Amino acid sequence: MSTNFSVVGKSLPRSDARIKAVGAARYCDDIIRPGMLFGKILRSPVAHAKILNIDVSKAKALPGVKSVITADDTLKIRFGNWRLVPESQDELPLATDKVRFIGDEVAAVAAIDKDIAEEALSLIKVDYEELPGAFSVDESMAEGAPVIHEANPNNISLQRKIDYGDLDQGFADSHLILDNEFTVHATSHAYMEPCSCVAEYDHDGRLTIWTSTQTPYFVQCLLAQTLGMRENDIRVIKPFVGGGFGGKMELRKWEFCAAFMARETGRPVKFTLTRSEELTTGRRRHPMKIRSKIGFSKDGIILAKEFTAYLDGGAYNSMGPTAAFLCGNFGGMLYRHPNYRYNGYHVYTNKPPAGAMRGFGAPQALFVAETQMNMAAQELGMDPLDIRLKNAMVTGDEIPGVAKISSCGFKESLLKVAEMTNWREKRKNLKKGQGIGIGCYSFISGGVFNWFNTRYNFTRAEVRAFDDGTVHLLTMASDIGQGCDTVLRQILAEELGLEVKDIRLTAADTAVTPQADLGTWGSRVTLMAGNAVRKAAAEIKEQLFKVVSMKFDLNVIHDMACKDGRIYAKNRPDRGIDFGEAVRLAQRANRGDPIIGYGSYTPRNKGLVTPAFSFGAQVAEVEVDLETGAIEVKEMNTAHDCGTPINPMSVEGQLEGSVHMGLGYALSEQFIMKGGKTLTSTFLDYKIPCAEDMPPGKSVHIDTYEPEGPFGAKEAGEGLVSPTAPAIADAVCHATGYRCMDLPITPEKVLKGLGKL
Amino acid sequence: MSLPKFTYLAPASLEEACGLLDQYQGKIRTKAGGTDLMVRLAQRALKPEYVMGIRNIPELEGISFDPDKGLRIGAMALLSEVADNPVVLERYPMLSRAAKATATVQIRNMGTVMGNICNASPSADNSPTLVAMNASIVAVSSAGERQIPIDEFFLGPGRNALEATEIAKEILVPVPLSRSGVSYQKISPRSKVDIAAVNVGAMVVVDEQGTCQQARICLGAVGPIPLRATSAEEFLLGKVITDEVAEKAGALAGSDASPISDVRASKEYRRLMVIILTKRALLEARHGTGI
Ligand SMILES: Cc1cc2nc3c(=O)[nH]c(=O)nc-3n(C[C@H](O)[C@H](O)[C@H](O)COP(=O)(O)OP(=O)(O)OC[C@H]3O[C@@H](n4cnc5c(N)ncnc54)[C@H](O)[C@@H]3O)c2cc1C
Repeated sequence: MSTNFSVVGKSLPRSDARIKAVGAARYCDDIIRPGMLFGKILRSPVAHAKILNIDVSKAKALPGVKSVITADDTLKIRFGNWRLVPESQDELPLATDKVRFIGDEVAAVAAIDKDIAEEALSLIKVDYEELPGAFSVDESMAEGAPVIHEANPNNISLQRKIDYGDLDQGFADSHLILDNEFTVHATSHAYMEPCSCVAEYDHDGRLTIWTSTQTPYFVQCLLAQTLGMRENDIRVIKPFVGGGFGGKMELRKWEFCAAFMARETGRPVKFTLTRSEELTTGRRRHPMKIRSKIGFSKDGIILAKEFTAYLDGGAYNSMGPTAAFLCGNFGGMLYRHPNYRYNGYHVYTNKPPAGAMRGFGAPQALFVAETQMNMAAQELGMDPLDIRLKNAMVTGDEIPGVAKISSCGFKESLLKVAEMTNWREKRKNLKKGQGIGIGCYSFISGGVFNWFNTRYNFTRAEVRAFDDGTVHLLTMASDIGQGCDTVLRQILAEELGLEVKDIRLTAADTAVTPQADLGTWGSRVTLMAGNAVRKAAAEIKEQLFKVVSMKFDLNVIHDMACKDGRIYAKNRPDRGIDFGEAVRLAQRANRGDPIIGYGSYTPRNKGLVTPAFSFGAQVAEVEVDLETGAIEVKEMNTAHDCGTPINPMSVEGQLEGSVHMGLGYALSEQFIMKGGKTLTSTFLDYKIPCAEDMPPGKSVHIDTYEPEGPFGAKEAGEGLVSPTAPAIADAVCHATGYRCMDLPITPEKVLKGLGKL
Repeated sequence: MSLPKFTYLAPASLEEACGLLDQYQGKIRTKAGGTDLMVRLAQRALKPEYVMGIRNIPELEGISFDPDKGLRIGAMALLSEVADNPVVLERYPMLSRAAKATATVQIRNMGTVMGNICNASPSADNSPTLVAMNASIVAVSSAGERQIPIDEFFLGPGRNALEATEIAKEILVPVPLSRSGVSYQKISPRSKVDIAAVNVGAMVVVDEQGTCQQARICLGAVGPIPLRATSAEEFLLGKVITDEVAEKAGALAGSDASPISDVRASKEYRRLMVIILTKRALLEARHGTGI
């Protein structure tokens, strides 16, 4: 499919690669404004308590302190991303009456330097009346558990359901039924750039905020809501962002505080979190307790599945409602499940809130689902590959009432990865301590459900064409390191027959770029913003085709082309002119009005979940030291279907990043907590895999074409974080006999599983 | 994290350095590579008024070998220099292994072996082998020089035997005895680049029949200081170090250890690792004796 593209499908260097490599990229914390103040947040030291009194008088009196605020200074307006369900908006800009986790934001200080701000925090006196806390879903759901939010006396903030087919019949017909309970743990996004923002209020009453965010539009809307301002009075600019992975897709409290205090003091205010704040109080991936019951026929066909997840949401909803839904969606994906029931419960606990994190409910669901597939294969005496091939989804499959699969390279991925790794041989012939295992995934290319309740299209692009042969692309799509600035340019260049260097880009500034874009999450940008860019380009082409057709007096039946910097009749390439010349003529014809194209995209008739699903399979090879339990991942190979890779090098980067993150999820990363307190407060103890821990591995892209995606493209990179943990767990089981049902797979658990500890 | 305010001093000789230590006693800290010290300062765990960098002192440089006196590791010898030094690689390969197991390339290019020892962390990578090989530390003050056997050097986590007016000048490691073998074993189960959850250094000396004449075993990260596994050492004397003997010695080392549970490992796991690593260290050391 991809052979006749000029720019799409090429591994072009990313537009931000050089500036980042030489250290010249300016991130939020690099921004310095005249007269800028430094903000710090006072956080709750207790997990659950009533606030009896806050005395800020001493902090205010400290020389150099310019502002100290508590909830009483604010409008106390609740906010949250799920605007469609107002009762889900359970956060206030600063804690009011009560704190619900260690780290809950209680007050903020802005001072002329960081040390003074820090000192001022120590002068704020808060009287707490401590309440008993609940630190796991079991504790929260127990009889007589402390109530964390008055609105939810049972601590369950919401329930999501999916239900189709006849479950009872499915189980009644089953030859093998597995019914298991799994637990998966919380992990940190650990983006390299801690959250940071700078807010400034100008004489005309406009607030500008530069912030490290994935979602400038959310920040704009929710700031307006909480500050009691109009959206158009707030300008959100996204500078270079050093990663997000879902952790920067909400209005965060320091953004509110910076804006509030900038307005109050008339001076710019900056907040930058420390790594310890991020690790001990920041958002994390949902820990879950999942019960999965699955029934198979004698020959390994899935007949029924009941999937029940309890999400440990921490103290607030954050993006929990979405994670709760996607967990259920991916509990029933990849394979045909004729009868499926999902119940997901989002449970409050007195811990830092869990939020969106790469995979958004899928890594948890797929660890369970894929592990259970491997267990079933073992029970039925089948090769884990074969049981998957038998049940795998294919193009055209439908999930009743939820989605239709418009392209699917899953079976091809399974066969390819097996061939790449010599799977069948190795699965039979490894030495003790060596293992090979498999895990698979599917993921969304952006969401369909409008929980943010945007009044705009999901994304929009504006393209301005110039007579010097260049164009300017304006989009609110946010590059946070994933590479959309480059990919959107490639899509536009392909469509207009230009080179990437001919395209100027202005992105993610709510005052300048078109309203609106929902931001960077759920792997939505390439497909959605890419489609909007294509449509905007089509409008440009339409205008240029007209003038070229007129100039050469072309018969109406001619098809027009836009390639290699020229606009011409497809079958008469000599009948054409340069792109810039065409723009000049079109503008003349417009009597001076510029050549502009607009395009929007909102998924329509695409079910409830997503316009397109990606698929893939991954094989892990491990070696386990049977005396120490130490696990070494020797190789990690992947075959995946992301539709047309717009930039294969970028896809590869996503894949490597995913393996790295999946490795940490599987083996080494975890928050060690005691009574609501996070003990792993630095990277010394929160163990992210190092370069030396990265296994070698290859990846092969399965050639598919997604009809809904720009040039056939769909999701790449987020879904790939899911297969790694189940693949490694399966390889460890193959090597040792120990089946992990409780992530992460630590050496201690391996030894305990082998009865050696 | 920002650093607190302090005055930085950079003496150019040992004499000058000792003078500064006398003058600012109790208010000054010595800085070698600073990879431990600067972190502690940034965390406000230490608040010295003066920080004395010792990079400009020529007497502290270098790594050298004397066939009678053994190996001398100057206080400013970097971890990476010790790891790659030809004499160390040839005659003290386990010191090289330990230095190489410490931290990352970047840290090894800044930090020193002496700093690792002086920092007196129970999990330090370079302590177990130096203890096993019976090293000593030369301390200098304006009153003169003294040699501190490494067995007396560690007093507790972060505490060593140096006086406030002393600077550690060099580490001396005796010439390896004939028919001796050494090993360094480390486990940091969650990453290849990690602080040790447990580490073990062992040296054995055997006679021509392979009977153990001397054994020194040091266990790291399982007590307040790098611990000698004395009952395991005693058990080995007079025995040929077979697999079975090594295994038994490992078990004894396990009871010599006093591990605790923390965020890195449980005490049960640590104790089991002492047993396994001691066994592995003894078998490797036996192999190194050439008998
Ligand atoms: C990211 C990172 C990873 C690390 N990983 C490891 C690891 O895997 N294993 C490990 O063992 N360590 C590790 N460390 C700790 C540290 O790097 C080592 O302990 C290093 O060897 C210290 O040497 P230095 O020269 O930097 O000491 P410094 O920081 O300069 O000094 C350490 C201490 O010793 C004192 N001191 C230093 N030299 C002298 C002297 N000549 N006389 C008297 N006192 C002196 C100082 O006052 C200070 O108290 C790590 C550190 C970091 C930052």
